[in-house]
Amino acid sequence: MSLRDNAIVAYSETKVMKKSDRDVWVLAGEILESLLDKTGFEKKEIDALVMSGLTGTGGASMFWAQSTCDMLGLEVGFCEQVHTGGCSAIGAVARAAAAIDAGMCEVALCLFADTHVREHNGRNDRNYRRDWTEPYGLLGPPGAFGLLQRRYDAKYGVDLRALGKLAVTQRNHAIMNENACEELRVPITVEDYLNSRMIADPIRLLDCVMLADGAAGVIVTSRKRAKEKGLTKCVIPMGYAERTNFLGGENLVDVTRSGHEIAGKKALAAAGLNIKDVRSFHPYDDFLIAIVIQFEALGFCKPGDGMAFVRDTDLSYKGTLPMNTGGGQISAGQAACSSHNLIETVRQLMGEAGQRQVKDTANALVTGIGWINYGRNWGSSAALALVPNQ
Amino acid sequence: MAITLNDTLGVKRDIKHYDFGMPFWEATKQKKLVIQYCKTAKKYQHFPRPVSIFTGRRRDIEWREVSGKGTVFSFTIAHRGPPAFQGAEPYAIASVTLDVGVNVIADVVNCTAEELKVGMKVKPYWLPLANGEHLLMWQPDKDAV
Repeated sequence: MSLRDNAIVAYSETKVMKKSDRDVWVLAGEILESLLDKTGFEKKEIDALVMSGLTGTGGASMFWAQSTCDMLGLEVGFCEQVHTGGCSAIGAVARAAAAIDAGMCEVALCLFADTHVREHNGRNDRNYRRDWTEPYGLLGPPGAFGLLQRRYDAKYGVDLRALGKLAVTQRNHAIMNENACEELRVPITVEDYLNSRMIADPIRLLDCVMLADGAAGVIVTSRKRAKEKGLTKCVIPMGYAERTNFLGGENLVDVTRSGHEIAGKKALAAAGLNIKDVRSFHPYDDFLIAIVIQFEALGFCKPGDGMAFVRDTDLSYKGTLPMNTGGGQISAGQAACSSHNLIETVRQLMGEAGQRQVKDTANALVTGIGWINYGRNWGSSAALALVPNQ
Repeated sequence: MAITLNDTLGVKRDIKHYDFGMPFWEATKQKKLVIQYCKTAKKYQHFPRPVSIFTGRRRDIEWREVSGKGTVFSFTIAHRGPPAFQGAEPYAIASVTLDVGVNVIADVVNCTAEELKVGMKVKPYWLPLANGEHLLMWQPDKDAV
C-alpha cells in the first residue's frame, strides 16, 4: 500500500466570497451534497472526515472536526484535523490516503470550510510573538514577508516588474475563473502592482492575499474502491512530502532557502518525476515573493535566478509552465482553508477547467506553506505531485 | 521619495513573558543584553527557548551578556500597524545580526529612511517599560567602523 494506491475521485468548491452570506456549516453541507452527487457514494459510505485546522471560524474550537461530523450526520472511523497551516489542504489528502492505507477507513471526505471574514472566533496562538515581535508592531505575515523580501533583495536583487508579472498572470487567470472572488476579477497591470500602496515596505497591497470566505472538499478513496464504484475519472496522488521547521536546529539561516528543497525533492522522487517534467505548477501564494522562492527551492531554477525565471517563462494557462491557473489565492481570495490551489490542480487534471484548461495534463505539482516563524520564512513547506488516472 | 520614519516610543506595551525567557527580561532592568548560549554547540540562540536548539537539552543552556552591537540583516517599514501602533506609522522594524551570530528583531529609532540600509551598523536603544524592564530597540551605531 502506498499513497498512489489511492485516488481523489471528486472535488467541489463554492464560489469565493468577500464575506459569506451563509453559515460555515451550510457551506460544508453544500460541499458534502455536491461530492455525494458527483461520486454516487451514500453518506453512510463516508467513513473518514479530515478537516483543515486553518480556520478562523472553527480554529478556536478544540472539537471542530467532531462537531462537524455531528452537524453533517457523519459516522466515521477516522476523524482528523490537520494543523500545518497552509499545508493543511494537501496534508489532508496525504493523511486521508495514509489512513486508508492503514486500514482505518475507506472513503475520506477532506473538507475545507471557513468563513473567517463573516465569523472569526478568535485565536489564542502560543508562540514567540507575544514576547518577541508583538511589542515591536510587526504586522503578522506582511511584516515577516517584508523582512524576507528585503533580504532577498539584498542577496539577489528583486525585480519588481517580475513580481508584477506574477500578479498580472494570476489576475488574468482569476478573471477566467467564475469561482474566484468577484471583487478581485478586475484586470490589473504591472503599473497597478508597482503603484499599489505599501503595507509593510517592500510588501505592497498587490503582493498580499485577501482573506475571503468559502468552502471546498475532495473525496479520497482507494483506487480499488474507486474502480468498483466505476469512478474512472480520478486523480492519483503520486508523491507527497512536508517539512516543518526547516533548519530549525540552526541559529542563523539563509531565509531565501525553504523546506521545499526537501519536501519537493521527496515528493517528486516518490512520483518518479524530475522538476523539469512538471507540466503545471500550483504554488502556495500568500505573497508573490514566496512563489519566486519556491521556484528556486524546488529546482525550477538555481537559487537567485527566480526573478529571471519569471521574466523568461510564460506562466499563463497556455504557457510553457502554467501556474496557479485558477488565479492563485492572491487573485481568487484566501478562502476555504487555503485549499484553492489544490482544487484547481485536481480540476485541471480532470480536464474540467473550461476556457483556462491547460493542454498538458500529464501531471501537476501543488505546494503548501504554513505558519510564520521568527525571522526566517515559513514554518511548514509541503509538496504534492499528482497525475490523472491512466 | 522621502519617507519620515516615526519612532514607536509612545506606544503602550504590556508584554507577557514565558518563564524560561525571564533571564533576558531581568537583565534589561540594568539595560543589559543577555542571550542564550549552548555550552556543547558553543553557539548562541535567540529567541530564548526551553532547550538548546542545537542539542535538545536543557542543561546545555546558559546566559551570556553580549555587546548588542550588530548589523542590519533586513528591515521592513510598517505602513499599517496593529491597533496599538496605529497612528505611529511609518516606523521601521529591523532584523539585526548580532556579532555573536543570532538575529534579533526590534524597532529602529533615531534613524532616517535614507540611513536605514541592510548592512548598517546598529547598537541597542533601551525603552523603559512600566514594570522596570526595558525593551530592546535598535539605533544607528555611528561610532562603528
